[in-house]
Amino acid sequence: MRATWFFIRKELLESWRSYHLLIIAVVFVIFGIEGPLMAKLTPEILKMASGSGMTIKMTDPTSLDSWQQYYKNMTQIGIYVLAVIFSGTISGEVSRGTLINLVTKGLPRYSVVLAKYIVAYFQWCLALVTAFFINWVYTAYYFSDNKSPNVLTGLWPLLIFGSMFVAVTIFGSALGKSNYLGFLTAVVAFIFLTLLNLFKDVKRYNPISLVTDNMSLVKGTEKISHIMPAVWITILSAVVLVYLAVLLLKHKKL
Amino acid sequence: MHNTDIFMNNLPLFIPLILLEVGLDVAALIHIFRHQNYRTGNRILWVLLTLLVNPIGAILYFVVGRETY
Repeated sequence: MRATWFFIRKELLESWRSYHLLIIAVVFVIFGIEGPLMAKLTPEILKMASGSGMTIKMTDPTSLDSWQQYYKNMTQIGIYVLAVIFSGTISGEVSRGTLINLVTKGLPRYSVVLAKYIVAYFQWCLALVTAFFINWVYTAYYFSDNKSPNVLTGLWPLLIFGSMFVAVTIFGSALGKSNYLGFLTAVVAFIFLTLLNLFKDVKRYNPISLVTDNMSLVKGTEKISHIMPAVWITILSAVVLVYLAVLLLKHKKL
Repeated sequence: MHNTDIFMNNLPLFIPLILLEVGLDVAALIHIFRHQNYRTGNRILWVLLTLLVNPIGAILYFVVGRETY
């Protein structure tokens, strides 16, 4: 455990020095500001685009529009930005040969995977929570209505989903030597889960529900208990994937 | 509404957005001019990308363009 703790510190330092933390901070603060901004500007943009020939009746933007922008940004771009940043984390060290010294000096190989997973998941939570709070402040300032009562209920399924998504990326990164394999695995897994959602009976158990049902959770039209099975399956598959990644690295030539 | 009106009405949103993007660009440019070698591309390419494609250029530079030792 001591070794894992030291490796976690090394990972955090690396994330700082390789500018990854800076990029994550800037990108997700931008996303946080962009949500309310796009919610405010969309009626204006549509008005300009439509010209004078026709009139579109636009309702005034509400807090729901702002949160919709947030969840759209997070699930369509945000998680891929994070996947790109995490994707080379194990494969990069293996191809550069930087693990050889540490492992021969007695660093257990499971520590490497565990520490990388913890640090990546920490950054995931940090990124989403930062964007969330900035969005929240602006939304409360610009759209003070009662249309989104359960704001926090929408967020935490997204954080839970991260535990699996990061595990998939780390697992993919342990598979081969290419820096992009982790990203590719994450994308393939996401597409596979999305296709699985075509079957109606699977929806409650599909981890993808954690990132598609956020808006109905915020509105209060859906109870969190409805997707509870998906939450447990997500956590379970995260544990299994991290274990598989440990096994992969154990039998890998460094 | 005119474009300037839209801008002035949403200053609390635009100011931090502009500051962030300019800050990221400056950080990327400083890094580009302090280093001779890049993992991919060359100095002219990265300076142009950083200045013209906002803010993707700077992010791309830090993720794939920066030389790692």
